[in-house]
Amino acid sequence: MLSAVCKSLVSSTARQLRAFHRPAAACSDKLFVHRDEPNNNSETPFEFSAENIKRSEVIIANYPKGHEAAACIPLLDLAQRQNDGWLPISAMHRVAEMLKMPRMRVYEVATFYTMFNREPVGKYFVQICTTTPCMLGGVGSDVILEAIKENLGIGVGHTTDDNMFTLAEVECLGACVNAPMVQINDDYYEDLTVDDMHRILNDIKAGKKPKAGPQSGQNFRFASEPKTGLTSLTEPPTGPGFGVRADL
Amino acid sequence: MAKYIEKISNALKIVKHNGGIVGTYLGLYRRDDFKWGTFVGEDKYGNKYYKNDYFFMGKSRWVEYPLSVGHDYDASQIPSEWHRWLQYIADEPPTQLPLPHRPWMADHTENFSGTSREYVPYSTTRPKVEAWVPPKK
Amino acid sequence: MLRLWPLRQISRLQNAISLTQQACNKSSVPAPSPELVEVFVDDKQVFVEPGTTVLQACAAAGVEIPRFCYHDRLSIAGNCRMCLVEVERSAKPVASCAMPVMKGMKVKTDSPVTRKAREGVMEFLLVNHPLDCPICDQGGECDLQDQSMAFGSDRSRFTDNAFTGKRAVEDKNIGPLIKTIMTRCIHCTRCIRFASEIAGVEDLGTSGRGTEMQVGTYVEKMFKSEMSGNVIDLCPVGALTSKPYAFTARPWENRRIESVDVMDAVGSNIVVCMRSNEVMRILPRLNEDINEEWISDKTRFAYDGLKRQRLTTPFVRSGTGELVPADWESAFVKIAERVNATDGDLIAGVAGGQVDAEALIALKDMLNRLGSESVCTEEKFPMTNSGIDFRSNYIMNTTISGIEESDLILLVGTNPRLEAPLVNARIRKTWINSDLCVTVLGAPVDLSYDYQYLGDSFELLTDILNDKHPLAKGLKEASKPMIILGSAVLQGENSGAILDTVKSLSEKLRAGSEQEDWKVFNVLHTQANQVGALDLGYAPGVDAMKGSKPSVLFLLGADAGTVKREDLYENALVVYIGHHGDYGAQIADVVLPAAAYTEKDAVYVNTEGRAQIGRQAVSPPGMARQDWKIIRALSEMLGVTLPYDKLSDVRARLGEVSPTFNHAGQVEDAGFFNLSDSATVPRKESRPAVQPLSPALLSLRDFYMTDPISRASLTMAKCVQAVDDAEKNPYSKPEQS
Repeated sequence: MLSAVCKSLVSSTARQLRAFHRPAAACSDKLFVHRDEPNNNSETPFEFSAENIKRSEVIIANYPKGHEAAACIPLLDLAQRQNDGWLPISAMHRVAEMLKMPRMRVYEVATFYTMFNREPVGKYFVQICTTTPCMLGGVGSDVILEAIKENLGIGVGHTTDDNMFTLAEVECLGACVNAPMVQINDDYYEDLTVDDMHRILNDIKAGKKPKAGPQSGQNFRFASEPKTGLTSLTEPPTGPGFGVRADL
Repeated sequence: MAKYIEKISNALKIVKHNGGIVGTYLGLYRRDDFKWGTFVGEDKYGNKYYKNDYFFMGKSRWVEYPLSVGHDYDASQIPSEWHRWLQYIADEPPTQLPLPHRPWMADHTENFSGTSREYVPYSTTRPKVEAWVPPKK
Repeated sequence: MLRLWPLRQISRLQNAISLTQQACNKSSVPAPSPELVEVFVDDKQVFVEPGTTVLQACAAAGVEIPRFCYHDRLSIAGNCRMCLVEVERSAKPVASCAMPVMKGMKVKTDSPVTRKAREGVMEFLLVNHPLDCPICDQGGECDLQDQSMAFGSDRSRFTDNAFTGKRAVEDKNIGPLIKTIMTRCIHCTRCIRFASEIAGVEDLGTSGRGTEMQVGTYVEKMFKSEMSGNVIDLCPVGALTSKPYAFTARPWENRRIESVDVMDAVGSNIVVCMRSNEVMRILPRLNEDINEEWISDKTRFAYDGLKRQRLTTPFVRSGTGELVPADWESAFVKIAERVNATDGDLIAGVAGGQVDAEALIALKDMLNRLGSESVCTEEKFPMTNSGIDFRSNYIMNTTISGIEESDLILLVGTNPRLEAPLVNARIRKTWINSDLCVTVLGAPVDLSYDYQYLGDSFELLTDILNDKHPLAKGLKEASKPMIILGSAVLQGENSGAILDTVKSLSEKLRAGSEQEDWKVFNVLHTQANQVGALDLGYAPGVDAMKGSKPSVLFLLGADAGTVKREDLYENALVVYIGHHGDYGAQIADVVLPAAAYTEKDAVYVNTEGRAQIGRQAVSPPGMARQDWKIIRALSEMLGVTLPYDKLSDVRARLGEVSPTFNHAGQVEDAGFFNLSDSATVPRKESRPAVQPLSPALLSLRDFYMTDPISRASLTMAKCVQAVDDAEKNPYSKPEQS
């Protein structure tokens, strides 16, 4: 076990090592220029649903007059959710039009944030965190990644043939205490083991919705409490007014 | 005395070489010199080559251009293999030691400078300014 | 920077407020001069305004800080980090371009910390920059090259000499003028800021992040701007270079000649780069009063038109009606035979818009000596009322830099963006930095700034004059209103009514203004030396000349096609003096080859009435000669020898005719406003203008080819093609603004 961890540590560190005085190798598998595709061009139909139009109006109203452009990220997110998890260029144009922004400024936002997918993704977008805490915590993200690859039969950045799953390797998703973890669409699955991963993916394939949150890695704990039980905050929470001066 | 006899004998040789007194006189127009010598050879252009070691080196080998070129003769009409002998680069004339002919050797041409066939270099660069050509009616 | 894109909505709100209120929005009394801040730069004490940046304070102290992203005329980005300096009691080196000065700040621009910071920044820039200086067009004028020599380290720690993975970026196709080699880009974003701030085109931006960041358009489209070429000058590295100039010359091989542009009436100051008697490229020259440091694309790229379709030899029309090459003497003899047999009244001259003042005065003097008074320009100008009798009637009285003081501009029948891109850039600059309000009578074209569109009918103008339009109040209340009248609308029928109305309106505003010396009335010409021609006494428009049916006609660079054979006496002799085989040469019987603007020392008067001297960069091609010398030689042949043999003599003669020419580079003040107003005959009910007040140039396509030089230019033809292609590109469609 220890040797396996050491081995994976060494190998993955070696992969990410580079000399300081070398240019950075290209890290992204995404293109940062737009290419017209049959399913992604300026003619791709995109229109906000009536419900989302209402939502967008509320979002825009959150910002002062003259600063509507601040609603760019929420609106792009709205568009992405409506459009099966990805943003066609026509959706960016629509957002630009709604916010009266130049299109280029919307492109800038959409390309800067990696959580906007500018290419189609599967119905379930599996994002596995491989940043150091996840790589080291629990069984380690490397074996989880292998399990996903094995279960889905795809590599990182690929989509299954039935358009159900897309696998992406991402940086820290902020669940380090429950490492390793994956995010499938909006749900976090944490404290994973290989069996958990297979079970979750099989459940999804079977049309069931697996329970999100910590899995068997730490015995289905509630959140991120220690394995050996709580060491603090063990008594029931005190009610309002606790410790306040009596004369107040 | 012998000196005078030699002069006369040379004069006779010259006359004989040039084919008579008239020939000697006319030859003077083309060669500016009185000479006699042994015939060494002739090239395909009709140039005849002579030598006479009686004369000092530098004058001892010479060419007589064919009458067909008139007075438009010049040294570039001599093919290179004869030029080699004529200029004392080699002792053997091509009649004795023919030079090997290589397939890449071009035929000898004289220098056409100053004639209508002279080489005029032309520019391969585009003109800096493209002139207007009036439309034809 | 109030009205730059993110905050434009605010200004739109302001514009939504009614016109009258807008105009009430007078600039307040200037704030009292604040106390200066004391700053020490390398222990040298300087006093600067509060709010100045450390970099500017250093400049005031005479220390130049290296920089890539900072540019005087652009907003501050602070992303190249080259301008790091050490500031005493600051934990880290600070980016001087973005750091405002503070009281008692001690800046060290040459300390070990500063030097090390610069070296480090330079090393990081170079690690992602290709080492292709030998094949880079920027080589020799590259900021990165220069600054790495001056501030970089002399050692390399770069270990990837096998080039296994140096950053490489795909090149972008942004049109026929700008060549992009994006691998060389150092992400200074000067081009992006230029496009959005100066040019007003939000085409460029960054996509991606970190090491994947790219500068470009994201989608493939043309950088569609009439001043796009300026990003070539702005680019501190070789990422954006000139496509027509690519691989033709090195900067140190060029000789630079300071000259003046003739593509529009702005008279932009330019530098002509010449190598071996060939114009290699044209660059802008700093002139704060005219073009600042920008020039339009036509100015910059039309120079290849100087090498095509040129007249290099005289032509004489033969018996069969064809133009055959001739020598100067036979051409002159042919003219002399005819002129000597012709009555002076039947001789006329027509000058085009790009002709220099020397040639104009020479032709006029010659024709006058031959007994003809019929000299005119192709471009029309109404002669009603005081017409061109007063200089203030036909020049841009407030001057271009005066735009910056104005608070309300009314554009009448003009599209300054295409007719005079630098005037438009100045309006945009003012619009961004102040509360300037622009209103337009004409066509609803894209001017790169928001404006109030009033309509295109002449009645609106009379309504404004007669206080029936809401703008009338706005104009009255504006402290420095400007009315800019485009010369394009003066070309039609009844244009006199337009001029009179605008003139009366301006006079009313000027008389009622509190600003004593503020002149309201401006004419924006489109022809480079139209003002010069009018100053020299040329009659505007060819109609009067046509009426006299001349039998001998001199066309001096007249290529607009205003004169046709039918307008002349039967078998009239047409003499064309000019540099391009364009319209004029085709109808001529004798063609005399002359010099284009880069080939002569010549004076041009721009629309402000500013005489400027253009210098000769190259010699005229072939047998061509300078225009005034041709006319001088011809006059001798015609027996009316002109009394000048040297350029200085011609210049002296120019000065005799108009004082404008005595002070090159300055605007001669055109006074007599009161007089010119009183000379205006009280108007009867004016005739309605027949045509709407629409300018001639409406879309960018029209901009590129407007004169013989740009019509002959291949680069300009490619631009037209590219604009046509962009019409079909769904990403190039104009966005709603």
